[in-house]
Amino acid sequence: MSEKQVGVISCSGEECLGGNLSRLGTRKVMEDLREGKVVSLCLPLYIAGGDEERDFAKEYPVISVDGCNKCCAKRSTEKYSGEVKGAIDLTDLFGEDIVLSKVVSARDLCEEHYKMADKVAEEICKKVDLLLEDK
Amino acid sequence: MSKIKVIPCSGIGKALGLISRETVLQVTNNLSKDEAETVCLAHVVTGDKDAVDKVKNQICITVDGCPALCAAKSVEHAGGIIKAKYRVVDEMKKHRGKDAGTGTTLTDAGWQIVDEFAEEISKHVTQLSKEGSNHE
Repeated sequence: MSEKQVGVISCSGEECLGGNLSRLGTRKVMEDLREGKVVSLCLPLYIAGGDEERDFAKEYPVISVDGCNKCCAKRSTEKYSGEVKGAIDLTDLFGEDIVLSKVVSARDLCEEHYKMADKVAEEICKKVDLLLEDK
Repeated sequence: MSKIKVIPCSGIGKALGLISRETVLQVTNNLSKDEAETVCLAHVVTGDKDAVDKVKNQICITVDGCPALCAAKSVEHAGGIIKAKYRVVDEMKKHRGKDAGTGTTLTDAGWQIVDEFAEEISKHVTQLSKEGSNHE
């Protein structure tokens, strides 16, 4: 694992497509595009009091990725670990109608969804790279 | 009677979280769509009023991936009446040695686990719905 690390905390919201896309984009960055440099933080565990997740967020820079403009991931990070170093709200990328449309099972994801997830991953990577350059 | 709330943790780190998420979607979007619905856990845990109102004093089933039980604890804290706390780790004991996949994609074995688990939870939803109707 790289010494330079960035945490990404994603919402995975269960009621809308934005949750699918934030989750998929974050996983792609972690597993593929910036493997070893990015650690995903589990939002429910983080909020439920996961010491490991909260300590990581205090020590390393964190980017929040939210599926809708309620911005649960961003607000939670600010509440428990201080400021986020970068925030992505998918509403800004795709508009409210798309992010608030019905959640999709991973079984039913189509090419259009994967293209949007790629866009999310690209935006995360831009912020990750900036933070890694700064360190 | 209000729909029964079935709420997963959707943990992002492992296949367990994805199985919890997909199992619940199978229940609420397909098997029990007239009797059950899900609620965004992130909204519940951040205290979003609309989300908390949806679970408070309502019949809920939680589906957690790991023993941390984030969904169960959060729904309980929000005032939900939890009738069952399912854990994917327990379900996996019925499928020892199977590779279920990752937090991104499930294997065929992973989807089989989802389908069987969803059937079990859907039966529970039907039972709770009948009990609820009988008390109205």
